[in-house]
Amino acid sequence: MTTFTIQDVTKTFTNGEVSEQVLNGINLSLQEGELTALVGASGSGKSTLLTIAAGLQSASDGKVKFDGNNMIGMTQEQIRKIRASKFGFVFQSAHLVPFLTVEDQLMLMLDVAESKMSKHEQKEEVAKVLKLVEMDHRKNAYPASLSGGEKQRVAIARAIIHKPKILFADEPTASLDSKRSRDVMTLIRDLTKKLKITTLMVTHDEEMLPFADRIITMKDGLII
Amino acid sequence: MNMAWKEMKKSKAKFIILGSIIFLVSFLTFIISGLANGLSQDNAALIKDLPQGHFYMSTDAKGTYNLSKIDPSLQDQTLKEHKDAAAFSIQMGFVNDKEDKQHTVAFVTSTDSPLFEKVAPGEIVLDKSLEKDGIKVGDVLTNNQFNGEFKVVKFVDQKKYSHAPVAYINMNDYKEIYRAKGLQLMFIPGQDQAPSITGLDSYTNNEFLNTISSYKAENMSLQMIIWFLIAISGLLFAIFFYMMNVQKIGLYGILKAIGVKTGTLFRMMWAQMFLITISALVLSVALSLGFNMIAPKGMPFSLTLNGTILLSVLFLVIGFIGATLSGMQIRKVEPLQAIQQGDM
Repeated sequence: MTTFTIQDVTKTFTNGEVSEQVLNGINLSLQEGELTALVGASGSGKSTLLTIAAGLQSASDGKVKFDGNNMIGMTQEQIRKIRASKFGFVFQSAHLVPFLTVEDQLMLMLDVAESKMSKHEQKEEVAKVLKLVEMDHRKNAYPASLSGGEKQRVAIARAIIHKPKILFADEPTASLDSKRSRDVMTLIRDLTKKLKITTLMVTHDEEMLPFADRIITMKDGLII
Repeated sequence: MNMAWKEMKKSKAKFIILGSIIFLVSFLTFIISGLANGLSQDNAALIKDLPQGHFYMSTDAKGTYNLSKIDPSLQDQTLKEHKDAAAFSIQMGFVNDKEDKQHTVAFVTSTDSPLFEKVAPGEIVLDKSLEKDGIKVGDVLTNNQFNGEFKVVKFVDQKKYSHAPVAYINMNDYKEIYRAKGLQLMFIPGQDQAPSITGLDSYTNNEFLNTISSYKAENMSLQMIIWFLIAISGLLFAIFFYMMNVQKIGLYGILKAIGVKTGTLFRMMWAQMFLITISALVLSVALSLGFNMIAPKGMPFSLTLNGTILLSVLFLVIGFIGATLSGMQIRKVEPLQAIQQGDM
């Protein structure tokens, strides 16, 4: 089932009199339960495409359809609500909140997503997801005491705790060594299947490509 | 989730430092405010203790009350029209006790009025501070410009003028000492609108207090210090939260990216500001009020509950403005920039 469609999306950056078109009419459909990897050289436009799809920046033209609605033209508040409740994010760095414990990082995400669960139910849900990412034994730890791999596992748990429809992952293994990268990718792939999430991942690490269901290569702002 | 409290718990040292600074500034402000209030009470309690109303002095005195002379017939006519009005005079002078020791006093005399002490000829009513100088009820005091003697009949609380104890005397005795034919001032209590009296200018209580040059100069300097301290505390908040927000720009960007509202981030900052300020104020108010109770008797220190509440509210408002202005950068944070940066 198609859940996310990108139609004729273009993006032009203008700096004074100089303008550069980084996306030249992108068309892409993402399927439920599928892990799509966007690959390409630096400057090919893959990160720009991911951030436009995630509503973190606007396109110059085209449509980004989620649940049948075009996100281009929505207000910032409408996009924020979608990001909070329907999208999950995993970044290159874990970007955890330094003063919150592992458990609180996930509780915060449930708050942001305006979860209807009671506090007790939220705690149970957090415990379940932490077990899923094998971080339940570190629920009271602060980010400063976690390893890089553990931080990224917590970031993934935070990204899926509110049961998003789309998971955006921007170079999720870039700051990890090979073993941890494989562990994290296994986790993302398994969660995509198990929770039927649509995952769009940007990577330049060819070793991670076998984990993807679909590989899309970009060059000079175009899908090739 | 209470992120504000969780951050404060995790970064105790940072917030304790800010709280201590706010405590010290607010404590200093309360102490100076207490001194300002005490000094102004010491300077003009006689006038400040009168009810709200209107003071009158002759137009040609041009706002200098000891140059004012009220025409006796105009005075009689005004007192007839306004039953609760009073005419009075204040002049600095001296009394000598039985050991011929000289004491500075502010002689006050008035027409019959419940606002002033009623004194018979040859009698004197003194401010209680003179009791500490050894003067007792029944003592006889003299003045080198007065042929008779003054018998001390009573002491009254907190009646000071120009930092000198007030000495109420009879009008005839006053006229003899100062060779005066009439009185200097009139006071009509109440009355929202000052009744117009030909040849006299009217002043509200505050306006009249400001015609007393020593009061105005003293009060202005102390008020300036108080406002300066309040402004400093506002700046401290702005600078502290600005620095803290700069450190947290990346975090704010990520929180915005995952869907946290800008308003939530502002509320987090405001909650921290209020928590720090209220804790610092509770401590400084308690210590200031404690100091109010143990302050040496001779020290003009008076901290009223109203004044304390007013200053506390002012601190909260200033803190709020300072924190909000510094927090404007939260609005400008772009999630994208934060994502492209490394870990916080």
